Amino acid sequence: MIAIASVTKTFDSGKGRRHLALADISLDIAAGEFVSILGPSGCGKSTLLYIVGGFIPPSTGAVLVKGARVSGPSPDRGPVFQEFALFPWKTVLGNVMYGLERQGVRRAQATARARELIAMVHLGGYESFYPKELSGGMKQRVAIARTLAYGPSILLMDEPFGSLDAHTRTRLQNDLLEIWERDRKTVMFVTHSVEEAVFLSDRIVMMSRSPGRVKDVIAIDLPRPRSRADLLLDRRFQDYVVNIERLMEEPAPEPRR
Amino acid sequence: MTRTGPAPALAAAIACAALFVAWEIGARLARIDGLPPASQALAQVPAILGDPEALLNIGASLRRMVVGFALGVAVAVPVGLTMGRSRHVAAFFNPLLMVIYPVPKAALMPVIMLWLGVGDASKTLVIFLGVTLPVIYHSYQGSRAVEQKMLWSAAAMGMTAPARLVRIVLPAALPDILAGCRVGLVLALITMVTSEMIARQTGVGNILFNSLDMAQYDTVYATIIIIGALGFALDAAFEWLRGRLVAWAEPAHPILAGTT
Amino acid sequence: MKALTAPLAAALIGSVPILLIIALWQVIAMSGIAPPSLLPAPGTVFTRLLQQFGSLAYLDHAATTLGRLFAGFAIAVVVGVTLGVAMTGSRWVGAAITPLVRVLAPVPKIALYPAFILTLGFEDASKIALVVADAVFPILLATSQGTAAVEPKLAWSALAAGASRLRCLLTVILPAALPSILTGCRIALVISCIVVFLAEMITSTDGLGHLLVRAARNFQSVDMFVPLITISLLGLLLNAGFNAVRRRLLAGFPEAD
Repeated sequence: MIAIASVTKTFDSGKGRRHLALADISLDIAAGEFVSILGPSGCGKSTLLYIVGGFIPPSTGAVLVKGARVSGPSPDRGPVFQEFALFPWKTVLGNVMYGLERQGVRRAQATARARELIAMVHLGGYESFYPKELSGGMKQRVAIARTLAYGPSILLMDEPFGSLDAHTRTRLQNDLLEIWERDRKTVMFVTHSVEEAVFLSDRIVMMSRSPGRVKDVIAIDLPRPRSRADLLLDRRFQDYVVNIERLMEEPAPEPRR
Repeated sequence: MTRTGPAPALAAAIACAALFVAWEIGARLARIDGLPPASQALAQVPAILGDPEALLNIGASLRRMVVGFALGVAVAVPVGLTMGRSRHVAAFFNPLLMVIYPVPKAALMPVIMLWLGVGDASKTLVIFLGVTLPVIYHSYQGSRAVEQKMLWSAAAMGMTAPARLVRIVLPAALPDILAGCRVGLVLALITMVTSEMIARQTGVGNILFNSLDMAQYDTVYATIIIIGALGFALDAAFEWLRGRLVAWAEPAHPILAGTT
Repeated sequence: MKALTAPLAAALIGSVPILLIIALWQVIAMSGIAPPSLLPAPGTVFTRLLQQFGSLAYLDHAATTLGRLFAGFAIAVVVGVTLGVAMTGSRWVGAAITPLVRVLAPVPKIALYPAFILTLGFEDASKIALVVADAVFPILLATSQGTAAVEPKLAWSALAAGASRLRCLLTVILPAALPSILTGCRIALVISCIVVFLAEMITSTDGLGHLLVRAARNFQSVDMFVPLITISLLGLLLNAGFNAVRRRLLAGFPEAD
């Protein structure tokens, strides 16, 4: 489904210096697979996601989606950002309808479909609210509905629950799994929380920083559908979390001149 | 926009050249009496700059401008900083400033001339009035944005309130103050030219309208070029100075408010 | 209760300096230090002001001033916003216009007035042109800075939903930059107010600025103060009106109030 082939990314860090953010990343993701990209901040995991989204170009290498080279954003790959990135001048309904309108769906139909999606993310009744009137968790639900609206087969999630409090976070994780188990979209999920990655994923891609590269790929062999309460008591879940956390404890990078 | 070496200066030079070329072509095509080609206007510039009387006029204008600007900054910065740190002081001055804001300062010229005569005092006062408002406003914004916890730390170290204003608020608000000064400088120039256009006694503004009355169109346009160059040069010089003084601050935006 | 008293107290404190100035004015006028021909008593001036507000001839002059002001401001908004958006939307337009703006923005536009008179005549056109020249830069700069500073993830969300680049520029970047654009417009509005008055003072046969100059020539000191107070009131009214419009337009934005 997604083939990342020898992707590197260098940024101009000013005064002629160049910073290697991603060094030779290769990775394949199968259709319907839930893959987490796990790593410390600054390891380029979000950059990798943006390259797959087609929002920024790779410096070398290429990303193929369904065999076609990615050259820009497409409604087949829907992003969900940590910052929500909702349109502040549009209501909840307006935000969710935006993608449908761009797809040329008729207004009446788009409204009906948007209302369905808003109900699905448990926000029925909030259609006419502006984003600023919603809590962080509610905003992210709107963002998820907005992305699901135009029917992408791939979800690109950039630390979507990173700015939410612990309670809201677990609720949204459960809701996301529920949605995923129903329509089995391919998900690329960037996070720095080990527990979150183990709970959600089929596979975890661990990255290290300076420069960002793939350190390890770990298959998570836990039964689905998953329930948080069961997993917390499950010895295998605990082992995954402890082992991955141990792997993550790498020495601090050398200061570079 | 990346700032790399001489590129912006080169771009500005090209932009100037493009303006003059467009003017030259436009004037030759349009053939209006009131619009001589750029080359004719440019040819007049050395004549004006070589005329001792004109130079004296321009010098006098600039002197008034500098005095008015300096006085304006000296008054406006303390007022703005105090407003930013005290709600009561801000409430005291804000409505007054709002009422004065839309009044064209140069329009006070006839009234002030009535009181102070047509000499330097009137023109300097008008420039002073034109400068104070933007400088107060920016100092106020900068002072208000100073992190409260920074002041708490200073107070805990035993710094008195006036000392905090000078040693903490002033440097912290310096980027904003200088942004205000930049607007104020351009405004000083504008107020200067405008007040001279209205008072019609001496100065650059007077040269402009005298030559207009005498239908010396080349001189009119040459004077416009000189005033424009003056504005650009003053702004560029100040921007250079600002870059030295607050190298630690974020790069400045181009001026937003630049008029009368 | 407290919410009501705080602004009230602020308004009371704020009225002190204005009242003080009027009181001082009254005292000086009464004491005879300044003869009425130099400084008429405030009572005389305000009576004359009210009288003039009932005079059709005076209102006609005010309407002339307002007409020029709005014509110039409207043109400046259209030109400034269009160019500002184009600068962000196209690298080429940006590269072409940025240096021009850098050169022209600090030029005292009032110096161009003789040129406008020579090319456009002594009537409305030259005054409107001067208003445009002065008002366009704050709007253009605010628009180009505002649109350039829009969170890229907002644009990415739109592009991923299937919006074209142009569509994204018009339906996402432009509205997202609205708070900044309106700030530029508000500065430009006050500038327009000032400039139109000055232009009328320099050469005109009608408008509020002309009334001031005419009064000055005839040494009618009372009639010099009346247009000045009128323009100040006009500025306050325009500002209040603009704020009302702004609150409506920015309904969803956090910075609406």
